[in-house]
Amino acid sequence: MLITLIRREILDNLMTFRFAAAVFITLLLVIATTVVLIKDYERRLADYNTAVKTHHQQSLEKKTYSDGIFNVDRPPNPLSLFNVGLDKQLGNQVEVYHGFVPTLWDAQMHGSDNPIMNIFSSIDIVFIFEVVLSLLALIFAYDALAGERERGTLRLVLTHAVSRGYILLAKYVSAMMCLLVPLLISMLLAVMLLTTSTSFSLNADDFLRIAGIIFTSIVYLSVFYLIGMLISAMTRRTATALMLSMFVWGFLVLVYPNVILAALTPHDTPETRTASTFSQIEQLWEEFDREHKQYLKNDAVPGESPGFNMGWVGSSTRRFTKNAATLKYSYQNTFRIEKLNERSEPKVPHVQSYYQFLVPLTLNTANQTWLLRKPALEEIFVKPALVDRILLKLSPVGMYDAATQAWAGTDLFGIEDFFSAAQRYRQTVIDYFYDKKAFASRQWFAADKGAVDWSTLPQFFFQKSDVGINAKRALPDVSLLLTINVVLFVVIFLIFVKSEV
Amino acid sequence: MIWHIAKRELYDNLNSLRFALATMLLLGLMLTNAITHLREHPERVQKYRDAVAKHQSLLTSHAENSLYELAQQGPGRLYKQPSPLRFCAEGGETFLSDHAEGGYHRWSTDTLKSFWILVYPSVTPNVDNVHPEVTKVDWSFIIGYVLSLIALLFTFDSISSERERGTLRLTLANSIPRHTVLIGKFLGALISINIPFILAVLVNLLVISTSSNVHLGTEAWERLGIIFIIAILYMCLFLVLGLLVSARVQRSAVSLVILLLVWVTFVVFMPGTLASIAGGSASSGPTRGFYEYSWQVHNELSAQYRSRRRNASENSTQKVQSAGEYVIKDAEQQERLHEERLKQRIDQVNRARIITRLSPVTIAQHLLESFAATGFERHLQFLENVQSYARQFRVFIADSDKADPESLHILGVRAGMSEKPVSPEAVPKFEDALNLSKDFNIAATELMLLMLFVVVLMSGAYLAFVRAEV
Repeated sequence: MLITLIRREILDNLMTFRFAAAVFITLLLVIATTVVLIKDYERRLADYNTAVKTHHQQSLEKKTYSDGIFNVDRPPNPLSLFNVGLDKQLGNQVEVYHGFVPTLWDAQMHGSDNPIMNIFSSIDIVFIFEVVLSLLALIFAYDALAGERERGTLRLVLTHAVSRGYILLAKYVSAMMCLLVPLLISMLLAVMLLTTSTSFSLNADDFLRIAGIIFTSIVYLSVFYLIGMLISAMTRRTATALMLSMFVWGFLVLVYPNVILAALTPHDTPETRTASTFSQIEQLWEEFDREHKQYLKNDAVPGESPGFNMGWVGSSTRRFTKNAATLKYSYQNTFRIEKLNERSEPKVPHVQSYYQFLVPLTLNTANQTWLLRKPALEEIFVKPALVDRILLKLSPVGMYDAATQAWAGTDLFGIEDFFSAAQRYRQTVIDYFYDKKAFASRQWFAADKGAVDWSTLPQFFFQKSDVGINAKRALPDVSLLLTINVVLFVVIFLIFVKSEV
Repeated sequence: MIWHIAKRELYDNLNSLRFALATMLLLGLMLTNAITHLREHPERVQKYRDAVAKHQSLLTSHAENSLYELAQQGPGRLYKQPSPLRFCAEGGETFLSDHAEGGYHRWSTDTLKSFWILVYPSVTPNVDNVHPEVTKVDWSFIIGYVLSLIALLFTFDSISSERERGTLRLTLANSIPRHTVLIGKFLGALISINIPFILAVLVNLLVISTSSNVHLGTEAWERLGIIFIIAILYMCLFLVLGLLVSARVQRSAVSLVILLLVWVTFVVFMPGTLASIAGGSASSGPTRGFYEYSWQVHNELSAQYRSRRRNASENSTQKVQSAGEYVIKDAEQQERLHEERLKQRIDQVNRARIITRLSPVTIAQHLLESFAATGFERHLQFLENVQSYARQFRVFIADSDKADPESLHILGVRAGMSEKPVSPEAVPKFEDALNLSKDFNIAATELMLLMLFVVVLMSGAYLAFVRAEV
């Protein structure tokens, strides 16, 4: 019986104009967007490759250990095609050196991006589904029950010994099958276009992630179909159901996500928190500066000059960099002697012991700064952003967006993964220095007796998080969407069972 | 007769569910908009005033030191005045920098210091924003997206449903010309949408203008009037589109499906897709490459200068002369480089903006931005103001140098310039002026384009309805 019902419904749906229009418009939009986005991705990838190449070249040219400041680059995420998230917006290059723990807030933009181009909104495939599929689902659903009731066919069906639950189920299954056609075909075509483009190298994990995105899309689609059905079950006339569905759609998709943040969250940063943490960090570095000066005063060479009055040719920088807004405070001390005056040669052991004192002190202070900075950054920047995201999740659109971002790895956590990798790389560099006993070596500051050979230093490599982790991050939102599905279905069932025909 | 039909339509609409829902939606949105503006605008103005005052005091201290110092340090940061009408169109202001750097120093040696140049910030101020990206609820969003959708929902069944019910045949049986019916229906829909819209706009403006924190001047009200007219025009576009499709299609449901899909394609997707297509076509060259090139140019010039100094046996005045020439030429070169890069970027954006005009919502948004004095066109005007101020400032420096008899009148070096302090009041002040007639000129093309769209669709609807079978 169920099969007969489903077959009838499917045939009914397939022959309609709306089905043809749905397939056509989804395919058109998805293909056009995919082609544009693939071009965009290729451009970003080319930028990334040039940046990596130049940075590698630059790192080979560093002649002394103290010069060892490396730029690491964040590759563009190929899955940003599906949901761009924060992938394009946040910085994609950060400096790694021993005296500073890099974070997202110290990153910069490499590449040829024209900053003014940001005034245009960017789109992605998930956005198309977010807007078009939900609309289509409502268009398919609004007359599912109200229409049959109006035409009187519902009464006819119920004269047979068919339970009402079966009718609902048949309608739901058949409409979902029809809606899946445009979704699956367009996704398939998008993935096909991706695989034919040479610049994309998708591995098995990426396909699993895409599967996750498709699954989430189906669940999202089903939520909107059920919303439409609920409206249809509650109203007597199709015209009312249609109007109500359109306004509900407009509210959930168009209005709510934009209004809620403007209305509820006051975007003032906790300034006292920033100021107090920054003054603590400043104290750390003042202490550092004191110890540094103390050492210079007490060592065997007269004077407080960190250059030790040597005669040399080369370059050096000594500077503190600070930014109170992002709590950045760092110390750079690079020294590169290309040629040393003969007379200054006896001073070299002093300089060696100076750096043997200074570098561990810098390291230590940088690590202590990080201990203060990490929780403060979490509180000042990450927490309000997470609150915003939770507010957005009160609409299914927000949940869908968050879940697909998590699958694609373009959410905040996905981006932070890169910066943890950069932090780990800093540790690698430090370990490498300890390994080579670099701080006490002459090559820390002088390249006159041969430049540093960096060939044994491990290269920076960023591995995207495991697909399991993506799934874990997406799970809360996906399960929430599933719960909404079940709740809606139960409510529709209750209303439909009790309603008069 | 037209009025009769319009009145009937109006009564029909006033009792409908969509009228109630549209009123609630528009009121809610406009109120949110007003409240957000009241919260954010005073902060913005305060920030602007503080920044201007800070840089004014820097300028004063340079002027009180000496003319040379003032000339070398430049006028400092020049800030863009925030528009009081930002609630009408946000215009991507968060992605545009709010200042230009009128004093950017690259190098100094023991004897020479680089002269100030005009520089434009090269990154977006938004680079470490981890908040989820949402559209600002401004008038351009409410009008561009929500109002257009509502307009379609009001007209999608205006002809097709009468045909379905058979009342259209009845109406036309009386000797009423078809265009009268069409215009009557159009007017009825226009008036019935305008009731909630005007109500919402009035509530919005009431909230904003009664607050003591935000002050709207006469010019602002003029601009608001123009913005309102544009909104009506844009609304007409969608009403007519609804009528057109409704006249051609037999069933209302089909008409709605077509209209929604057209709306989604043109309003939601076209702007983003077209911009990506246009933006991907050209890139302005990597930032680092630019700085490397700029240093290379500078190094060439400084090598020239050094070799000249080594070879020539010049007296002290000539030495000062050549040093001054070197410093000034370097500044000119660098400023030109920055200007060229800016021009390249602006050209790219302009190309993208022209292409996105295929979508009516972008036209409306551009228009609203122009008249709300926000967004890209406004930024261009600001840059123009900055450049003309820079010229004015340079003329002032040259003139006051000439007025000092002790000076050698060689710009660029301390030895060649007046060392006397300058009265800070005499230094020209940067004023970022808004100009309504200029905005109007810029917007004229787009206004015409919008009207053209309306007229074309209107005649399309007329033709469709005249030839349609009842």
